[in-house]
Amino acid sequence: MTGGKVDPGESEILNGMERNLLMNISIRMTSILMVLALFLVSCTKPHVENSGKTGGESIAVFTKNQTNPYFQTVRLGAENAARQMNAAVVQYIPTVSDSITEQLSEIEDAIIKRPGAVVFIPVNSKAMIPGIEKLNAAGIPVVNVTDRVLGGQIVSFMGCDETKLAVNTGRFLLQKMNGRGNVVILEGRGGSENSVNRVAGYRKALEEFPNVKLLASQPADFQRVQALQVTENLLQSYPQIDGILAANDSMALGAIEALDAARRKSLVVGINGTLEAIDAIKAGKLLATGDCDGFRHGCLGTMAAVRHLRNLPVPKEFIFSLTVIDSTNYAGMDVPYEQRMCPKWESIVKDK
Amino acid sequence: MADTRRRIPGIAWLLATLILFFSIFGTRFASAPNLINIGNQSSILMLLALPMTLIIMTEGLDLSMGAVLGLSGVVLALLLVNGHALPLAFAAALGVGTLFGFANGVLVVALGMPPFVATLGMLGVAQGIALAMTNGESVSGIGSVLPRIYASRWMGIPFAILVAVTAYAVFHFLLYHTRIGTYVFAIGGNREALLLAGVPAKRYHVLIYAIGGLMAGAGAFLLTGRMSVGHPTAAVGMEFDAMVAVIVGGTKLERGNGWLPGTVLGVLTVGVLKNGLNVMAVPSSLQIASIGMLVIVALLIDTLRGRS
Amino acid sequence: MSSVAWRLLGVLLLCVVLALSSSAFLTVGNLLNVLRQASLIFLIAAGLTFVILSAGLDLSIGANLGLSACLAAAAIKATGSISIGIAAGVACGTTIGILNGLLITTLRLPPFIAIYGMLWMVYGINYWAMAGNTIYGFPESFRVIGSGYFMGIPIPVLLMVLCLIVGSVFTRYTTWGHEIYAIGANPEVARLSGIPVRRRLIMVYTLSGAMSGLAGIVYLARLNSAEAGIGEPLLLPAIAAVLIGGTSLFGGVGSLSGALIGAVILTLVLNGMNLLTISGNWQPLITGVILLLAAGIDTVARKWNESRA
Repeated sequence: MTGGKVDPGESEILNGMERNLLMNISIRMTSILMVLALFLVSCTKPHVENSGKTGGESIAVFTKNQTNPYFQTVRLGAENAARQMNAAVVQYIPTVSDSITEQLSEIEDAIIKRPGAVVFIPVNSKAMIPGIEKLNAAGIPVVNVTDRVLGGQIVSFMGCDETKLAVNTGRFLLQKMNGRGNVVILEGRGGSENSVNRVAGYRKALEEFPNVKLLASQPADFQRVQALQVTENLLQSYPQIDGILAANDSMALGAIEALDAARRKSLVVGINGTLEAIDAIKAGKLLATGDCDGFRHGCLGTMAAVRHLRNLPVPKEFIFSLTVIDSTNYAGMDVPYEQRMCPKWESIVKDK
Repeated sequence: MADTRRRIPGIAWLLATLILFFSIFGTRFASAPNLINIGNQSSILMLLALPMTLIIMTEGLDLSMGAVLGLSGVVLALLLVNGHALPLAFAAALGVGTLFGFANGVLVVALGMPPFVATLGMLGVAQGIALAMTNGESVSGIGSVLPRIYASRWMGIPFAILVAVTAYAVFHFLLYHTRIGTYVFAIGGNREALLLAGVPAKRYHVLIYAIGGLMAGAGAFLLTGRMSVGHPTAAVGMEFDAMVAVIVGGTKLERGNGWLPGTVLGVLTVGVLKNGLNVMAVPSSLQIASIGMLVIVALLIDTLRGRS
Repeated sequence: MSSVAWRLLGVLLLCVVLALSSSAFLTVGNLLNVLRQASLIFLIAAGLTFVILSAGLDLSIGANLGLSACLAAAAIKATGSISIGIAAGVACGTTIGILNGLLITTLRLPPFIAIYGMLWMVYGINYWAMAGNTIYGFPESFRVIGSGYFMGIPIPVLLMVLCLIVGSVFTRYTTWGHEIYAIGANPEVARLSGIPVRRRLIMVYTLSGAMSGLAGIVYLARLNSAEAGIGEPLLLPAIAAVLIGGTSLFGGVGSLSGALIGAVILTLVLNGMNLLTISGNWQPLITGVILLLAAGIDTVARKWNESRA
């Protein structure tokens, strides 16, 4: 059976007693090492230390997963902003990517620690409503960033309209195609709202260009290798693909690898605005990437949370401008995130 | 057969150590609200781990539980959205779960497919149907009855914990005090004896898988209440958590060795670890590594005790 | 007919169906694509086959692949040398494999769960080390491993064939190979016949780890980038490929050629779904049904054979 222990049997070198002793020792040593490791791991401090000066608010930041570089930029923005404002950030990321149950559990666990405020990106806009309500009941203010949560009380929503972002990005591609030709859509993961919203946006953009034919819309799980293989397959089916609308940058880049390998050309767009995508734009491989600047989300969301705790004004809603980054406007975006600084609150949020 | 006296200390020591550790180094870990949270967070897993214990005792496993739970939850939610009463919707969810469990049982027992492949295939089927029914989106608008039931407390104890405790009581009785329980041990440990005694072992074997599906449906009730929506992929991967809990709790994948109380300890250990790591704000990547370490340490303790 | 022959028939049937459904299927380009996609699965499935033959299971192959690819990527970037990168990746995979083997033999932990624990530990280390970043952009001379051709055949396919030949010779014509089958069929009898079971087990897990490392290199070359978690979606397809190919989880039965056929079947299914533009919501369902069909036919055929024997 899959798990049945196979008894290695008597050793060929040591006799029975010595072998037992060796095994016992190995087991104990390994156990002690592991327990020590667990101890050390648990005593790891969170990423940003409280500087000890005035302020010292603790902000809990919830992001969706560890795999998507977009959320890494949000977290970096949050930490940057916290440093600037003498606050501290605690990061909550599900160990299983995009897990609804885990994020709900994380909210409960965070409430125990009584953070001053929460900056929240929901794994799912509807399923997390009970979580927001729990935070409300505990009296912890919530700033919602990036993806809107569709219930509960929030101090502010700061983000962009994902569908609109996809519409703009799609429109950009279709205009570059002069409104004529064939396109394919690379969808994300089944059950993911981001995928649903972005594909909806792309389809909406397509409605504006009746002379463009949508050949296929296939899922590639937001992953690079799947996108590569799916694109490969589609390239076989369709001798003429003029545009590829990918629901995220990883898939766009995977599609580009497939195009390169097949020595075919196609205009490709993605969404997320990752550094790698910008590099691809610089290299002329990627046409554009729709960006909502996760770094700024992290910055301003955290600033809003801290401001709220300090009784400073915070707008109820703030929609970031959407940018379709292409070869003309990437300057300033291609800075490694560790070097970026949060913009000043006043320069972004005017007279609120 | 299970030698419970020797096995009791192993996982219990580990659980106690973790609780002690987090109580000392984690602020407010040992507070009542947090402990209740752990119970709440562990209850859905408990509902899956209990039947998984039986399945593993018969040298099988069920990889489809998470997907079936998701599908049952979707069915439950869709019926509620369309105005049907909760009891009916709940019955339907249980029915869907049991159907898939039964299908698993037929494939494994009647057809003789390796459980890994059979349940993996059914995972895809359940997942696919759930995605197709919902177009990948959440099903919302289920009304307030179910969420309120989930959030209710009876003498201060949350509903979910009560359900989990009741489930344990039922399974304990089933396994240790009924004929069916004896058959479960026998199917794992000494199938020939059963057949010689004229017992239709296959029937009970299929029943075990069907119970697994039934509990997935029950879990869907709790999860949908917790999220206030039905979602096709909400429980993906839970079956692995259940298997870890069962095996870390002392049930072996070898024939007929099962210990149900150990499953409870296993579920609680996993819940305590995850909660404790969050309370101590350990970075997520290291949390992942810690879970792996927990598994290996638990197995080591088990092996060590088995040796002495 | 032998089980491999039955499966080849199944592959042919699938091909006929696809060729009739889509005019794009039966082209050289598409078939080479399918083979190349299959080879990526096969490389990990091959190592896994050895483990499953010995009645074990290695769930860490995906995590292993990811960590090895990331390590190789970092090494290439740090030293500028492709050979060092490749060595680092394979070494990483092999080390994890050796650790797995030791867990099973010296510490005597049950393979299924213990290596599942390793899976989590490796992912944890991988995520922690990468910190959400991606390492990308490698020289053409390295990328050719994944995307290049040699005499018109994609290099990963050549690697797959090489692997198949060496592996098959190993399993069928060497003592070590025979011993692995014996251990899988009946470990007690194997031990009593003097087979050094523990050493062989460490060997198979090391092999599996090494193959995961190698597969990681090929992935890195094909994708031109590495990030933590790239191996996650590969575990279940790899296991499915091995099982569809006729290798039994109970050990002692199976072959590498079976794993190759399994990989090809899985890839054909995906290829077909893309060519026929089947909606994303239906794809898991179809994959699940095909898996059940393949396993079902296999089970029924095996029973039929047993009853006749």
